[in-house]
Amino acid sequence: MGAGGKALTTPVDSARPVQRRLIASARGQERLQGWALIAPALLIYAVFALYPIFDVFALSFQKWNGLSPERSFVGLTNYIHIFQDDPVFWGAFRNTLIWTALAVSVPPLIGFGFALALNESLPGRGMLRAIFYMPVIIAPIAVATMWKWMYDPFFGLFNSMLTGMGLQSLIQDWLGDRRVALYSIFVAYVWQHVGFSMVLFLAGLQGVSQTLVEAARIDGANRTQVFRYVTLPAMRTSITIVLVLSLISSLRAFDIVYGMTQGGPAQSTQMLALWAYQQSMQIHDFGKGSAVSVVLLVITLLIVLPYLAWRNKAEGDKS
Amino acid sequence: MKTSTFFKPLGSERIDPLLVVLWVVLLAVAVLWIAPVLFIVATSLKSTQEVMNSSAFAFPTQLATDNYATAWQRGRYNTTFLNSIVVTLIKVPLGLALSAMAAYALARIELPRKKVLLVLVVFGTMIPFQVMLAPLFRLINELGLLNTYIGLWLPYIAFGVPYQVFILHGFFKEVPQELSEAAVIDGASHFTIFRRIFLPISLPVLAALFILDFVATWNEFAMALVIMLNSNNWTLPLSLMAFQGEFGSDFGPLNAAIVTTVAPAVLVYLIFQRYFVGGLTAGAVKG
Repeated sequence: MGAGGKALTTPVDSARPVQRRLIASARGQERLQGWALIAPALLIYAVFALYPIFDVFALSFQKWNGLSPERSFVGLTNYIHIFQDDPVFWGAFRNTLIWTALAVSVPPLIGFGFALALNESLPGRGMLRAIFYMPVIIAPIAVATMWKWMYDPFFGLFNSMLTGMGLQSLIQDWLGDRRVALYSIFVAYVWQHVGFSMVLFLAGLQGVSQTLVEAARIDGANRTQVFRYVTLPAMRTSITIVLVLSLISSLRAFDIVYGMTQGGPAQSTQMLALWAYQQSMQIHDFGKGSAVSVVLLVITLLIVLPYLAWRNKAEGDKS
Repeated sequence: MKTSTFFKPLGSERIDPLLVVLWVVLLAVAVLWIAPVLFIVATSLKSTQEVMNSSAFAFPTQLATDNYATAWQRGRYNTTFLNSIVVTLIKVPLGLALSAMAAYALARIELPRKKVLLVLVVFGTMIPFQVMLAPLFRLINELGLLNTYIGLWLPYIAFGVPYQVFILHGFFKEVPQELSEAAVIDGASHFTIFRRIFLPISLPVLAALFILDFVATWNEFAMALVIMLNSNNWTLPLSLMAFQGEFGSDFGPLNAAIVTTVAPAVLVYLIFQRYFVGGLTAGAVKG
């Protein structure tokens, strides 16, 4: 609240002493009210969201089991361990990269396709939108439970379907085979996330000027040309936003992996977020878990900070 | 009589055959898309014996509604369902109110360092909190709030604030000056202006944020996992995870448990759905 107090004494030039005091106190009043309105949200946000970011850095240089009062500073030991000796870390790192690459490309592309199609005048499109969006509102842990059961090698949907079609040769142990497990989880992830991209793209398509589209048509532009020269440029902001949001939610992938495989079989679906959790909360090594978290956090910041700068600049250009 | 515009591209009077084909493909994809949900609901009504012996696609011959009673009792939903309701119904309105207040002040009151605060808030929308489960556990533990509702409400609010402030700030900034000027001249305080003028006009946006936040809170798993350690304090996603581990091969009740967990969020979504797309995008995609 220091800034609010300082604000009370900020001089207002070009006013007579009495008026000056009046205006200053009115402005002080205003600022006080402003800070009172902001304070609760900001305080909770600072303590429970921002502080843990700093704390995770601090924890990553310590040795701590999570409960004992004993905590010792160990320097870079945790980092050296995860980079050199941890048999799981690099696999989790690789899986996170594969997962992220897939998650920023596949669901947004399908979502874009759905949005373009459902932006046309088609019967029942409200219904179709609702169907494609529905998985988004299902709890990820429920999606995991659903798909785990559909992937069941003996009674699940997929293998009975393949048997029914006479394709027994394609039957897999979808979540038990370390070569396919990660991709099996990803299919469930796609099912859940396409609707989200679709809705944002649909909103972006509302911003494409209809007059411009019609004018282009009248000038003889064909479908591809309208898309290439009118729709796509107008969608640039939406595309960026969807890509950034997809990226962030892919780095967050935790529930769905936890619910389907817990990182197995043989750590073949392990990812950084889950590995950080397991190190800390299940193996009770908060230092190493936090070091893994820091790696993930740094990757996130490397992507997020340039984006924020870009956004800020775009905002500045507008006003 | 107005002729139908179905299958006609914008500005064209003729039916485009390509759009008809596209529509048929979309219908087929939609059936695929909804199949898992139908499959789960159908299975939740089959006895375990029927699941084992009949085709996965067969409709249940006898509705085994007792799966739901079994799931309710095994998942201890008397406790966990209630926990989910208490957590969600307090957190969501409270968090939204705090976010709206902050967003109003950031959008409409002259404050020093406002821009820095705003960037700080937007930054929060992009931080994966799954990364911070360990420090969060430590913080809540040191405050003595493990296994309490407050211990879950506070971080939930903290992680809801950024997105909500971001959207509402965008909305409040666009409100024309004239709307609040009269009140300012009458000497009304910002609290009054916020409550009397800005809250009522932002109801559609608030409704959209309400659905988003309700669904997110109802479904949240990772933070609850490290804060609610005692099974008496579990919310539905935690209970479903335990159910999956313990009774994972008892397919009828398992699917009934899934349906029970998911149904309230779907219901809220359906009720408030008409506000959804408009409100969600009021601030997000524009700039």
